Amino acid sequence: MARETLERPRFRHVGRPVDRIDATAKVTGQTVYGDDLRLPRLLHVKLVHAPVAHARIRRIGASKALAVPGVEAVLTAADLPPHRTNPDARAQVLLASDEVLFYGQPVAAVLARDPYTAAYARDLVEVEYEELPAVVDPLEAMRDDAPLARTGAIRDADRSEEQGHITVEAQQEQAQSHPSNVSSSITFRRGDVEAGFAEADAVVEGTWRSSMVHQSYIEPHVIIADYDASGELSIWSSTQAPFHVRHEVARTLGLPEARVRVTATEVGGGFGGKIYLYEPLVAALAMAVRRPVKLTMSRREDMLAATPAPQAVVQLKAGMKADGTLVALQARVIYDAGAFPGAPVLPGCLLIGGSYKCPNLDIQGFEVLTNKVSVGALRAPGAPHVAFALESAMDMLAQRLELDPLEVRLKNAVEKGDPLPSGQPYPAIGLKECLEAIARTDIWRERRRIRQHPHRGVGLAVGGWLGGLQPASATVGLNADGTINVTVGAADITGTNTSFAQIAAEELNLPLEMVSVVTGDTRTAPYAGMSAGSKTTYTVGRAVKLAAEDARQQILAIASQRLEVPAEELEMQDGVVRARGQPEKQVTFRELGRLTTGFGARYAPIVGRGAITARRQAPGFTAQVAEVEVDPDTGQVTVLRYAVAQDVGFAINPKSVEGQMQGGAAQGLGIALFEEMVYDEKGRLLNPNLLDYRLPTARDVPPIEAIIVEVPSEEGPYGARIVGEPSIVPGPAAVANAVADAVGARVFEAPLTPERVLRALGKLRD
Amino acid sequence: MPKRVITLTVNGETHEVAVEPWWTLLYTVREELGLTGSKEGCGTGDCGACSMLLDGRLVTSCIVLAVEADGCQVTTIEGLAQGGQLHPVQQAFVEKGAVQCGYCIPGMVMAAYDLLRRQPDPTLEEVRLALAGNLCRCTGYTKIYEAVLAAAERMRLEGARG
Amino acid sequence: MRPFAHFAPRSLDEALDIFRREGEGGRPLAGGTDLVVQLKEGGHKFPYPRYLVSLRRLPELRALGWHEEQGLRLGAGLTMAEVASNDWVRQRYPALADGAGLVGSRQTMNMATVGGNVCNAAPSADTAPPLLALEAQARIVGPQGERLLPLEEFWLGPGETVLRHGELLTEFLLPPPLPRSASLYRRHTPRQQMDIAVVGVAVAVALDDGGRTLKKVRIALGAVAPTPIRARRAEAALEGQAPSPEAIARAAAIAQEEARPISDVRGSAALRRHLVGVMTERLLREAIERARRG
Repeated sequence: MARETLERPRFRHVGRPVDRIDATAKVTGQTVYGDDLRLPRLLHVKLVHAPVAHARIRRIGASKALAVPGVEAVLTAADLPPHRTNPDARAQVLLASDEVLFYGQPVAAVLARDPYTAAYARDLVEVEYEELPAVVDPLEAMRDDAPLARTGAIRDADRSEEQGHITVEAQQEQAQSHPSNVSSSITFRRGDVEAGFAEADAVVEGTWRSSMVHQSYIEPHVIIADYDASGELSIWSSTQAPFHVRHEVARTLGLPEARVRVTATEVGGGFGGKIYLYEPLVAALAMAVRRPVKLTMSRREDMLAATPAPQAVVQLKAGMKADGTLVALQARVIYDAGAFPGAPVLPGCLLIGGSYKCPNLDIQGFEVLTNKVSVGALRAPGAPHVAFALESAMDMLAQRLELDPLEVRLKNAVEKGDPLPSGQPYPAIGLKECLEAIARTDIWRERRRIRQHPHRGVGLAVGGWLGGLQPASATVGLNADGTINVTVGAADITGTNTSFAQIAAEELNLPLEMVSVVTGDTRTAPYAGMSAGSKTTYTVGRAVKLAAEDARQQILAIASQRLEVPAEELEMQDGVVRARGQPEKQVTFRELGRLTTGFGARYAPIVGRGAITARRQAPGFTAQVAEVEVDPDTGQVTVLRYAVAQDVGFAINPKSVEGQMQGGAAQGLGIALFEEMVYDEKGRLLNPNLLDYRLPTARDVPPIEAIIVEVPSEEGPYGARIVGEPSIVPGPAAVANAVADAVGARVFEAPLTPERVLRALGKLRD
Repeated sequence: MPKRVITLTVNGETHEVAVEPWWTLLYTVREELGLTGSKEGCGTGDCGACSMLLDGRLVTSCIVLAVEADGCQVTTIEGLAQGGQLHPVQQAFVEKGAVQCGYCIPGMVMAAYDLLRRQPDPTLEEVRLALAGNLCRCTGYTKIYEAVLAAAERMRLEGARG
Repeated sequence: MRPFAHFAPRSLDEALDIFRREGEGGRPLAGGTDLVVQLKEGGHKFPYPRYLVSLRRLPELRALGWHEEQGLRLGAGLTMAEVASNDWVRQRYPALADGAGLVGSRQTMNMATVGGNVCNAAPSADTAPPLLALEAQARIVGPQGERLLPLEEFWLGPGETVLRHGELLTEFLLPPPLPRSASLYRRHTPRQQMDIAVVGVAVAVALDDGGRTLKKVRIALGAVAPTPIRARRAEAALEGQAPSPEAIARAAAIAQEEARPISDVRGSAALRRHLVGVMTERLLREAIERARRG
């Protein structure tokens, strides 16, 4: 694994590969996930999922289910405690009460002593539906004569998930006055796009389609709620966003946030799909029955009724001059939101027009409602869809003009100061550096030799993500024995707590073993934003660094008094504070711990506090290259080698950073080759399982070369920038470009299934 | 109908457990024996998170009925570390950064352990073949391949020494 | 899952007695990799069973023996892993080793049985085309005694077989391979593993003593009809012919015509028909090449 690093100061901990602090517990099976928790008197929930995509509920009959021994309750919307309902916000429609909007929408909840009993009784709940016309395809849904996906216009869309992942200022227009399935739209224009095309020596255009895909965390959603006699609501949820869950649950159920405790249990994979969803429902169920209740979704239920990632249609026209200068981009970007608004139109539009310098832009984005499950975030939401179109078009232009595809990208790549379509200028970014790193990989250098093979080819693509912004805070405390506790409120999804330990140990010049990091619950932890939008290290890491610096100052102040040496003349190392040049004058952290925590202690406890607000993004770019072999008779695509170069600013823990890059790239390969939620014309999901919804297996993913590129960010800790999301973005385009390189056929729809490859090759009749 | 009492020897310890005929081995081990290390990811034998050894054979315990395991020897992830010492496979997973969210890891470690019992010196391709039934969504598998190959090497060295 | 009873007999007779005693509504349970999933997910094509009879402990289902004249006896209760790693199977019936070695994951292969794979009657079952191409017969034991049936007559449709209540498939009999013969099974799946065949093709060929003409050709197709099928017209078109590229291509085209695929979530009818041609042609060539080499 390579690392492209600028000159920088030497550090003791940050920047060095360390083992995750939670790895031992995980390899031994000791880590407690949500479904591993045990509470007394716990009831298990199974939801009745609607078997129709659009319908009115006529009647719900529970008598047969209630007759099953062990069933405690069957609850419908009418049985829930009073709560705020917003018909435009998925999580605030706890159970469908009148209109079912998607196949799989929960209409009732069965509570029983064990999950088998609950599931058995669930199948005995009788629901009568009056079916309504369902609209399934987003382009169909945009037609004037299309049936409406729902009665009633959208007034109060919930865009918090999107904002958690990407925080930018831009105006999104709400729906028009006349009834339509288009729930919002957005336009960005720059220059004169027609003049741009007139000036171009080559113009390419096409329509690229990306399928609906599922985050497919291996741990399905799990939520436990308990409402005790004193009016305290406790929630344990496999969520990336405990404070957001608290806010939304409190708001929905009319409780003060101070009375709601949300514990983010160890998240068994989230990727944006575990922000918040069924917490208000499960809490309402617990309040209704006054017992702790647990919802553990099965894989099938999760695929039917969580929040997967949208299908998209991207129409793109691009013009380039003979010297490789990109002069015009015109795009129409359509995301299918499913039954509730919340599709990533804004990031899609920003990135399709914001990855290359281009004087003339005309970009329109549409969010369309259909009768499918509503979508949520998946790692760089919306970005792979537009990169698929843009990066395919870049290769098509390069080919048309007989230019090197890497050189063309280098020539046009955005840099610091270049504007996004919204006009906002980029801070320091490393897209060019990523391309330069890819140019040095074996795959890229050997591409001419690889092409000698009749069915092998090499494809390149880039992608980026802007990142989310939320404030964050942290505390760093000195314990009686001289060890250090770091407390944060951010769920550790990607190894961030390990990085926080490195940061605190760095600032306090301690061995890593003396630092412990804990994610508290929302009653005990300092506030942090959601662990989404690749921002946890970027924001919470800064807070931890500040808190450690604060603790350091407090330690030095007390040591200065004890040793009668000015603080500036003190140094600290391995838990000992000593006067520079006077080694006999020293005091240990252990002594300081006692002096600040013991009976009749002379000094107040040492609690370092760090709180930051983040207003500047640190976007992350990546360039990726694939070597593939295509069987021209079966259409099968095999990825032989793959490399990812990504600018991470500064890799606090290179081992984790590489893992993020490889993991995201493998997800990109999944959506490039296999993954697709298939709905029939009536809106029924045909493959709600991990057999027919195909995640890439070990056989399908070659070892992925990870090249860390470090162009420091302006605000991140030690120059770190966002890491998690960019790596998923280029996959579909890189594979499509490699397939085109291998067999000369361009595929415009992801995943690139054998069938689509064969059709592109003209080998399938009908 | 009363529950059926079955005998399971799990990680060397014999238990009598009363089960319903439709309970899975995974559910029984997790809920009745409190061994929650094995995970349910799909419930249909497609993801491997529930992998354990049943009479020495690697199985997906989410689709094995507990009654079918009556009288059998079971080894779960909790049975791998001996005397507080991580198994070399576990150690390698920690050191190579092969663990992210960790949900697939108990099953993945069991599959790797099973492979190395059968093939002490696997090639990369043999590792990929053996792990194909264990889905991981976080790591892109790369560091898992490295961990399994490193564990194999360590076990061969230790075997040669011991 | 709905409640059901479970019986764990220790002999074939005991198992048959249970079916007789308990009456309709029972299902035999082998490895469970299909049945348990169907019971959990509701994907079953039969009435939900009142009781299951485990076949796990029946020694009569674990026969495994080779005889020069009679061929191979293969117990229905052998697992895919056992079948795929068996030396007799690997050397004399490689198509079956191919098929058994492709079913799911290592875990699946440790649980799933060859009998279960056949009795589940999925058109895509990976051991079905090999067993058809290798002209397997199924031994069926039931309340009225036992019978021997060519496997081709065993399936009636997706999930449906000739087995009547209380009958069990106990073993397969595979005739010994001819001299200068070879067999192969391949399937097409989007993923390299952990997938269901979009199309599966098995071929078994034998050359005449001079190696110039095809003495015998068997072609079996999976996932392109309501049951696994033999492509008999394609076989007939090749038998007695010299294995020229043209003859092979013609046979593959005939096999395409014999396929009756449907479109479903795993692939379109057009894709399946196309793949039947491509794969049949490739497999015939490879098998003939192997038969030549001996």
